[in-house]
Amino acid sequence: MLLSECLQHASLIDCLRQSPVDSESIAQMLWAIIALPLAGAFVSGVFGRMLGRANTNLIACAAVAGSFVLSLLAFWAVNDPRTALLSSFSQDPVRYAVAHDFGTWFAAGTFRVHFGLMVDHLSGVMILVVTGVGFLIHVYSTSYMGHDEGYGRYFAYLNLFIAMMLTLVLADSLPLLFVGWEGVGLCSYLLIGFWYEDAAKAWAGRKAFVVNRIGDFGFLIGMFLLALWVAAFQAQTNNAGGQGRALEQWRIGISQQGPLTFRGLEEAVRRIPPAAAQLRDAVSLDTSVVSGPLKGTTFGQVLLAVLLLFMLGAAGKSAQLPLYVWLPDAMAGPTPVSALIHAATMVTAGVYLFSRVGFLLVLEPTAMAVVALIGAATALYSAVIAFGQDDIKKVLAYSTISQLGFMFMGVGLAVFWAAILHLVTHAFFKACLFLGAGSVMHGNAEETNIKRLGGLRRQMPWTWATFAIATLAITGIVPLSGFFSKDAILHGVHGTDLQGYPWVSNTAWLIGLCAAFCTAFYMVRLYVLVFEGDRSPEARTAKAHESDWPMRLPMVVLAALSVLGVVYGIPLIAPASGGPAQTVMENYLSTVSAVPQQLARIHHTLRQGHESSLLVAWAQAWAIALAGGGLAGFLYLRYFPSRPKLQVPAFARALERWVRHGFYVDQLYYFAIVKPTEFLSYVLYKVVDSFIIDTLIVRGVAWITARSGAALRYLQTGNAQSYAAVMALALLCAAGYAVIQVLK
Amino acid sequence: MVPINNYLFLAALLFCVGMFGVMVRRNALVVFMCVELMLNAANLTFLAFARQRGDSVGHVSAFFVIAVAAAEAAIGLAIMIAVFRSRGTLNIEEIKTMKH
Repeated sequence: MLLSECLQHASLIDCLRQSPVDSESIAQMLWAIIALPLAGAFVSGVFGRMLGRANTNLIACAAVAGSFVLSLLAFWAVNDPRTALLSSFSQDPVRYAVAHDFGTWFAAGTFRVHFGLMVDHLSGVMILVVTGVGFLIHVYSTSYMGHDEGYGRYFAYLNLFIAMMLTLVLADSLPLLFVGWEGVGLCSYLLIGFWYEDAAKAWAGRKAFVVNRIGDFGFLIGMFLLALWVAAFQAQTNNAGGQGRALEQWRIGISQQGPLTFRGLEEAVRRIPPAAAQLRDAVSLDTSVVSGPLKGTTFGQVLLAVLLLFMLGAAGKSAQLPLYVWLPDAMAGPTPVSALIHAATMVTAGVYLFSRVGFLLVLEPTAMAVVALIGAATALYSAVIAFGQDDIKKVLAYSTISQLGFMFMGVGLAVFWAAILHLVTHAFFKACLFLGAGSVMHGNAEETNIKRLGGLRRQMPWTWATFAIATLAITGIVPLSGFFSKDAILHGVHGTDLQGYPWVSNTAWLIGLCAAFCTAFYMVRLYVLVFEGDRSPEARTAKAHESDWPMRLPMVVLAALSVLGVVYGIPLIAPASGGPAQTVMENYLSTVSAVPQQLARIHHTLRQGHESSLLVAWAQAWAIALAGGGLAGFLYLRYFPSRPKLQVPAFARALERWVRHGFYVDQLYYFAIVKPTEFLSYVLYKVVDSFIIDTLIVRGVAWITARSGAALRYLQTGNAQSYAAVMALALLCAAGYAVIQVLK
Repeated sequence: MVPINNYLFLAALLFCVGMFGVMVRRNALVVFMCVELMLNAANLTFLAFARQRGDSVGHVSAFFVIAVAAAEAAIGLAIMIAVFRSRGTLNIEEIKTMKH
């Protein structure tokens, strides 16, 4: 319908919400969002050298731009109020979701996996972030990698990453999500080790890959358990509670689409009555599984194991304790890669996963407590480590780990919208910070030590301005997006109590406040050391130079977005059901988080905790950010520069050394895990492989054959008469035997 | 009537002479003749038993052996001529390899 026609009988907002393309066509074209970057990866990887640098740049950027446009259309269609999805699992249509099933991937017995893609409000936000930030970083890369010979390979990997990340967020089932999950891990490995001639960088890539595999192993096992869980649930549910037809519909959906689709899982857990309800024959979380491999455990225990295994996977991919160690080393890759993969998109996959399966998470308060506490611990721990880092990218890497910790904290206490809001704003300002860091390195002869930079404010005005805005955003200064998103998490965490773990929310909240203070401190320290003060006498170049426009433009756009992102964090919308005003993001994601909220209410896993006013929380957060930032500003602008001969006490030196080395966790892992593994491998190599297999079995067989051959060679003389003699002898023996037999 | 034992002793003697020749003579042609001698010893045994039992199965076997001996003679002599042509000798101790 034309806009002018529409405006005659509806308001502008309502007219704009009507998608120009109908949702059915969009659903059938969802594959193209993934296929475009995939094709771009193929072309730039295979024909990159033939096409030349400019063409490869153009193709790579155009592929992502096309994907972005398609994502916008899909997003638009999802937001159309007329959009409704007829799911195979329930009779009720699902509003605000677009999905299409592209056929069976594989089927084994009752286990099926389909190529099903789905866009709802959650994945709609994600695809826009992935393709939007991805496009900006592609543009940036054209200049940043302008002198690198491996441009074809680089853009192929980067495009492939975008395709895989889109697979991850568009997938409508866990196995397909896992494809993207592994794909982004692969691209991360390839891009960290992009300059593979440098052994240290190649090792960093390998480390990331191996650590990720530990997490992926957990994720995979969790997925298998969940498939068994669904099978057991399907076998044991019956028509109790008068839901016969709905249950039948769900069974049909499971047999058509396989057990691991998100929609099917959601419908499954909605059939679980609360433990207290005592419905006759109904399957609740306390019911034991009666048959199959899970026999003897209850449904709740299995679900808890699944969620903890998912947390292991998420800890690997999203660099949480105890598997965070790969991310600081991942800074060996090109800086745009750090911005895209290790700050904005891939590392948020764990947050996305838990938001996606939030309906499972809210059933298990123990799992929620674990997720929230791991997140809180990571947030504080890595923020402290960031104090002692002198490498500009390392500071940002630890900062990323810390911010991801905030997100996990929010996810753990089921404040999904705040976690996703922080994911989005973090993608903007952290990508901007990384791109700024890349620009600083580019303009200063690849110097990364912040103590050897300084005074760049006047020499690199664009970089300075964007970096300063992003710093303010991550620090949490009031009119910027980071303030609202971080505070949304903290406020949400403080306001929610876990059933059975009432101390978790307060603990996480306090740790979160400390981490917010640390965040402000290390970010201002970084900013001051790089941009303020005088230029360090140890600088590599006398004067830094500002970067080209393809590098400045993405930074400006991202800085603008980190300001504009504030819109989503302000409570503007009054919900239809009454109650306090909701933020735009909360209102927007309520289509996705409605089911988890409803489940939490039914199962009493979450309680409304401390009622505190939003304004008080804002004031607290602001005061903390100002205190941290102010302290750092005072120390690094006034205190240290005016005392160049300052004697630092011994304990402070020791502490600083510990912090700089990340509390020696890498070394601890090296001696506690890597060394024993290496030793075990050495023993296995020497004893099993070298001795038993190679020496005893392989060479032993050869030796026996050779020896027996040598012995038997004497029989094969070639002399016909000696053969005849043997025959005669044998004949004689036979005759003698016959005679003996006859005489007997 | 000559008792059957005499025939059998004669056949055994012939067989042993033949076998002895096969094992000790160097000339392949003589070895070959010794093999014929062994075959004929076997024939004699067949015929002796056939005579004793009064049936004709032994005769049939003897004819088979004669036919086989004829075929063997034809092929064996051909092989020997070929060997002699290629190696210039029929000394069996020198003919140890299949290839020359």
